[in-house]
Amino acid sequence: MINEVRNAVLSIANKNNYGYISPSDFNLFAANAQMEIYEEYYSSYNKVISAENARTSGTDYADVESPIAETLETFLVTDFLYNIGGNIFSVPTLTTVGNNAYYILKVLCHSTLLASGANTSIVINGLTDSNATFVADGVVTDCVVTNLSTGKVATVVSVISDTYLILSKDIFLASGDDYKIFSAKVKESDKVSVGKITMLNSSNLTSPNDLFPSYTLEGQTIKVYPNTIDTLGQVQAVYFRYPKVPKWTYVNLLNGEPSFDQTQSDYQDFELPNEDGYKLVTKILEYCGMSIRETELTQFGMAQQQHEQPTFSMQQ
Amino acid sequence: MAYLSQFEYYENNGNTPQDANWGSYQYVKLEDIVNNFLLMHTGNHSLINNEERYKIIFHAKRAIQELNYDAFKEIKILELSVADSLRYVLPSDYVNWVRISLYKDGWLRPLTENIQAISSNAYLQDQQGNILFDQNGNILRPQYSDIDYDRIKGSKKSIYLNQGNQFNGQEGWYFEGMWYFSYGIGAAYGLNTETANFNPTFKIDKKAGVINFDSSMAGELCILEYVSDGMEGGDNSLITVNKLFEQYIYAAIKYEILNSKFNVQQYVIERAKKDKSALLRNAKIRISNIHPGRLLMNLRGMDKVIK
Repeated sequence: MINEVRNAVLSIANKNNYGYISPSDFNLFAANAQMEIYEEYYSSYNKVISAENARTSGTDYADVESPIAETLETFLVTDFLYNIGGNIFSVPTLTTVGNNAYYILKVLCHSTLLASGANTSIVINGLTDSNATFVADGVVTDCVVTNLSTGKVATVVSVISDTYLILSKDIFLASGDDYKIFSAKVKESDKVSVGKITMLNSSNLTSPNDLFPSYTLEGQTIKVYPNTIDTLGQVQAVYFRYPKVPKWTYVNLLNGEPSFDQTQSDYQDFELPNEDGYKLVTKILEYCGMSIRETELTQFGMAQQQHEQPTFSMQQ
Repeated sequence: MAYLSQFEYYENNGNTPQDANWGSYQYVKLEDIVNNFLLMHTGNHSLINNEERYKIIFHAKRAIQELNYDAFKEIKILELSVADSLRYVLPSDYVNWVRISLYKDGWLRPLTENIQAISSNAYLQDQQGNILFDQNGNILRPQYSDIDYDRIKGSKKSIYLNQGNQFNGQEGWYFEGMWYFSYGIGAAYGLNTETANFNPTFKIDKKAGVINFDSSMAGELCILEYVSDGMEGGDNSLITVNKLFEQYIYAAIKYEILNSKFNVQQYVIERAKKDKSALLRNAKIRISNIHPGRLLMNLRGMDKVIK
């Protein structure tokens, strides 16, 4: 979609000789425009829910909520959180899990430790421990296996015997690696404000426990309570990630005109659905107008946004 | 919670204890209550949304505690031997007593509470009646007050009741399994019916967490029937509610949250309150097990000739 959007932007901008948009400027504007539209989805969703509660929204083809929810859900990711130390875990970031979290929907805890030990030999996509008693320990499919030596996590795909498990990933590349296996049963952690957590911890009826864990968000870290939940593999986050930064990649032709090349390794298309193409064009035009000091272009972009967006969600 | 297989129910899947799941179908777990409530009664299109889970847990537990005090009729029973100190330490989950009995000779003898003071704290005093303190300013206390000492040593008099016995109704001392009476000069008039009971008497010292008995209870077995608050020593996984009260618990949580929430219309709160009350009434009637078979047994006695 990114090439179509760029062509449209250049076409409109050039039509009246407003100016030329370089690829680097376009990529900059494209990232901002995508982020702006992405954030609009959340406010639109809230407005749709209010409309539903006011009984001004219908079902079937009049169901406005589902398309918005479905778009947002394409950004939904589940990852095990990196343990910083004790009961403190890192929020999802590019360096820890490969994505930056925009909004953490929920935090899940695997509280129950079923087994621990060290692997005795290497098997591809497997865990073998001749001293283990996996079956007797209650290890079943979907249990979480953490390699404490390498900090990698996998889930149990199949329990072959008391001493051999097949895993979803190849996380044991050397023998003698310490591991822990946690129950597949997951408990949802309740988000509590930092202002409340001290009182909650000292409450006799509601203090966090393995059955009802809680967490607080402090800076780029998540603190999980009870503080016995302290190992990689015990905490999973389900979160909305930021959209990937779009990049229109190109090769320079002989006459200097850049030509679109999507085979390059850093190529990245927009992640929004196709129907948001015109929104992207108008928003990028708005940025372009401001960049080249063409108020007409900015006004054109803004007017198109007002005119073209349907806009149940925007005009409610 | 998933349903149990027959093998899991009867045999706990071959694990110990075997009886772990017996009768479990009558109950719903706290975890399920909280989960169901969050799933069914909260959300974007519900009366309740944006409430933290700990509030749901709090109101659920409070409702369970209240039910345990009377409506559940789930009475716990603990047998302990009363030592020479004549004290019975209350169980760790004790909230209130229902009945206290002496178990002797294969019979359970319900005891009556002695409403007179039979135990007391005491301060050490000098000859002039001044209270004595230690170097830190704390009051010095004896191990036993006089009233406790007399009770424990059996030197406090009580009424002896044994129909047909010549000492029946007389005041005496019970000491080491034997009754002793003062030599009667003249006659003893009147009987204190309040304490006139052959069996030992007791008084509960709630703050001290003990039941104090009179000296005739030394070395005897005491059966305490009591109610708890259902919190199972803080183990949330063990907290359960009878299914007859499940809907009431949801209604109680709903009412408590709406009642404490800002900007909720009064009629909504009133509706929730009525809902809660009606469900509690229904559940109490259900758990009372009033059914024809039981009524029939009661009515069978109505034509009995009273001699």
